[in-house]
Amino acid sequence: MSTQTKSSEIVLDYVKTIGIVNNGYNGRGFANPYDIAVGGDGRIFVLNRCDPLRASAIRVGICNLEDEYLGEFGRGFGAGDEQFAWPVAMVLDSRYRLHITDEHNHRVTTYDTSGDASGNASAKYLSHWGKPGTGDGELNGPAGIAVDSSDNLFVVDQHNSRVQKFTSDGKFIANWGSFGGGDGQFNLPWGAAVDKDDNVYIADWRNNRIQKFTNDGEFLAAFGNSGEGEGQFQRPTSVAVDPEGFIYVADWGNERVQVLGPDGSFQMILRGEATVSKWAEAYFDSNPEEKAERDISNLKPELPAHLNTPYHISSQTEPYFWGPVSVSLDREGRLYVAETNRHRFQVYQKR
Amino acid sequence: MISNDTALMAHLLRRAGFGANRDELESYLEIGYDGAVEALLNPSDPGNMPDDLIRRYHVDQSELRDLPSSSAYWMYRMISTSCPMEEKTALFWHGLFATGYSKLNQARSQLNQVEMFRRSGLGSFEDLLVELSKDPAMIVWLDNNENHGASINENYGRELLELFSMGIGNYSEDDIKGCARAFTGWTLGNAEYMSVRAAKDSIWPYGRIAWHFDYREEDHDDGEKTFLGETGRFNGEDIIAIIVKQEATARFVATRLFQFFAADEITEAGEKTIEAMMATYFSSGYQIRDMLRTLFHSDYFKSEEARFARVKGPVEMVVGAIRMAGNYQDPYLGIEGVANTMFYMGQGLLRPPTVEGWHEGAEWIDSGALVERVNFVAKELSNVSSPGVRSIIERLEAGADQGVLQPSELADGCLDLLGPIQVSEETRSVLVEYASRHGDLDLNGHQPGDQAEQRVGDILRLVAATREYQLA
Repeated sequence: MSTQTKSSEIVLDYVKTIGIVNNGYNGRGFANPYDIAVGGDGRIFVLNRCDPLRASAIRVGICNLEDEYLGEFGRGFGAGDEQFAWPVAMVLDSRYRLHITDEHNHRVTTYDTSGDASGNASAKYLSHWGKPGTGDGELNGPAGIAVDSSDNLFVVDQHNSRVQKFTSDGKFIANWGSFGGGDGQFNLPWGAAVDKDDNVYIADWRNNRIQKFTNDGEFLAAFGNSGEGEGQFQRPTSVAVDPEGFIYVADWGNERVQVLGPDGSFQMILRGEATVSKWAEAYFDSNPEEKAERDISNLKPELPAHLNTPYHISSQTEPYFWGPVSVSLDREGRLYVAETNRHRFQVYQKR
Repeated sequence: MISNDTALMAHLLRRAGFGANRDELESYLEIGYDGAVEALLNPSDPGNMPDDLIRRYHVDQSELRDLPSSSAYWMYRMISTSCPMEEKTALFWHGLFATGYSKLNQARSQLNQVEMFRRSGLGSFEDLLVELSKDPAMIVWLDNNENHGASINENYGRELLELFSMGIGNYSEDDIKGCARAFTGWTLGNAEYMSVRAAKDSIWPYGRIAWHFDYREEDHDDGEKTFLGETGRFNGEDIIAIIVKQEATARFVATRLFQFFAADEITEAGEKTIEAMMATYFSSGYQIRDMLRTLFHSDYFKSEEARFARVKGPVEMVVGAIRMAGNYQDPYLGIEGVANTMFYMGQGLLRPPTVEGWHEGAEWIDSGALVERVNFVAKELSNVSSPGVRSIIERLEAGADQGVLQPSELADGCLDLLGPIQVSEETRSVLVEYASRHGDLDLNGHQPGDQAEQRVGDILRLVAATREYQLA
């Protein structure tokens, strides 16, 4: 389901859904996915944040658009090498190094994923960097992460209410921001993105807006405010910008994705239209009695008034986004929306 | 010397809440007992930990698929709310209208039921029973989704009368049948698919799908029924309207409220209070809030007889200790483990043992549960870095003569600031003796976590182990 303005300059077509809940500790499927990074070779990296019962299996899964599950890496919960506690976001740089933030361990972990296009054992752990604190280069709850054309990294340092710029191996370059609601200020910021001109966009989560900066942190613009209307946000978690400057926002609290024009003007809303994935089809092939009852069900029901909130609607309406926490783009104009609570992602194609 | 006003207010807050630290107690004392009763019975903004923060850090509490995460989610609300009576009321109805995860495999919908208790738990009992009968978790729990016009399932109809309103002995088997027929067609959306998923504990393909009420008119038996002497083409609402008129219902509700909010045992004076609550039940149009107002203003409730007359349930125990210590006010990695301690003490949120709920009173305490209770509270209260414990230390210092406390002052001060808690002379002498081992306590220049502060923590730990601390 999507809604667009009459003058909308962008059209997104639903392509498919990939995923199934993974109730175990490895293998095909996802466990509370929190971010997606798409490589130029077609590999899709999915960060599984995992619930506490399955924390020992926190990992990155790899698949492709052909629904092949290619492998996974990571060593589960902890503070050791390749371990994570509360991983949040990740980004691929130009050399296929995958950088993953961890808001509990206050650090960034880097893998080299350039090795093997088949995906098997394709990630080689390189290092982790960052330490807790408030000084330059120190981190307090790193969340979103983005990379510019020079492979500089922008890490959203949420509890320090700032953005920090690092080299790709973690050397501090600069930072900006403070706590508040004014221009260039943040309140528990989350997602980050860089556009083709190397401007930086930040999902200013608790201020319900997107802020745009130059590569050096000079404030350029802010888009959106609190609400459920068009162009309004409720706790935006993630932002992505395509080569034409369209801005995609995971409007997480409203359980939707919004697209803005390069000037911040509202373009369209996606509410989600998930279908049965290939992996889900395999499940139903083995469970025909469940499939039979599902086929005669209405998965977009009318709900009583007390359940008429985006969260409750999504909890009861399986095709809709539920916990759309991240938006990612590939080079072919595809949009990937990761849904934490539905253990899947939906893919859309820009016309 | 503890004033009666302070002791009475602390008593009210143990019953209509989870106990109170001294700051809370003083804010209630400012509005007086009557004002406090009204504030507690008319919850406003609870100011609890916001959902957005919980969901951001706890993905499991965003999805609410599993039991430990879901009970932790409710516990967060209990420990951070400024409207404790709202949560205490929800806990009361959760125990009375016990609905368990073991059969449902649907924690999200159970939490929707808890939200319904918040929304309607202090209002009309008639409205509450209608909402309960439309609650999807209850419908599946007692098989009303299998109660069809052509083939009734009496389970919900029977328990509605026996366990949820009138009590056994006040209706016939024919009344049960009439009741069940009236609730045919009361089911949940996509009932067949949801039943298959619940029975298999299926989370596939994309996690759980929460539940909502659905009325299937074509499955409802619209024929004439006789129920408690009245005849008509009754639907569920009509049956409930008859139920709430019964004196047995008034007695049932008043008694259960009394035992949860006043005393485990019913004395002669307690019986008179129950009768007064029954009178209020009818005069107010079945309003729970008004019944509780009658209770809290009764001579019995205010008397010494009612004080410490209940064994704290595990939820009260754990939540009370956490609130006193001031911990977990922000999302905390591992919170589900904290919530699990209530289960180990015998009261897991969202998992009552049977449809009859928990057996309360003295049955809360067996040797295993007692060890769990004491250990948990001792750990919370002896941690001198906890904000609530730091506040106790600051207050002890402020009340000391030149910053120095004699052992008896240390023991009495801790008992006061944790309640005040009334203890036997024997218990007090043990506390004083322990406090005497290192002589007077000099809090001048104390630093976080130093030996002087730890001495306070040690006394608080010892108070947690007393018999009196187990009582509310």
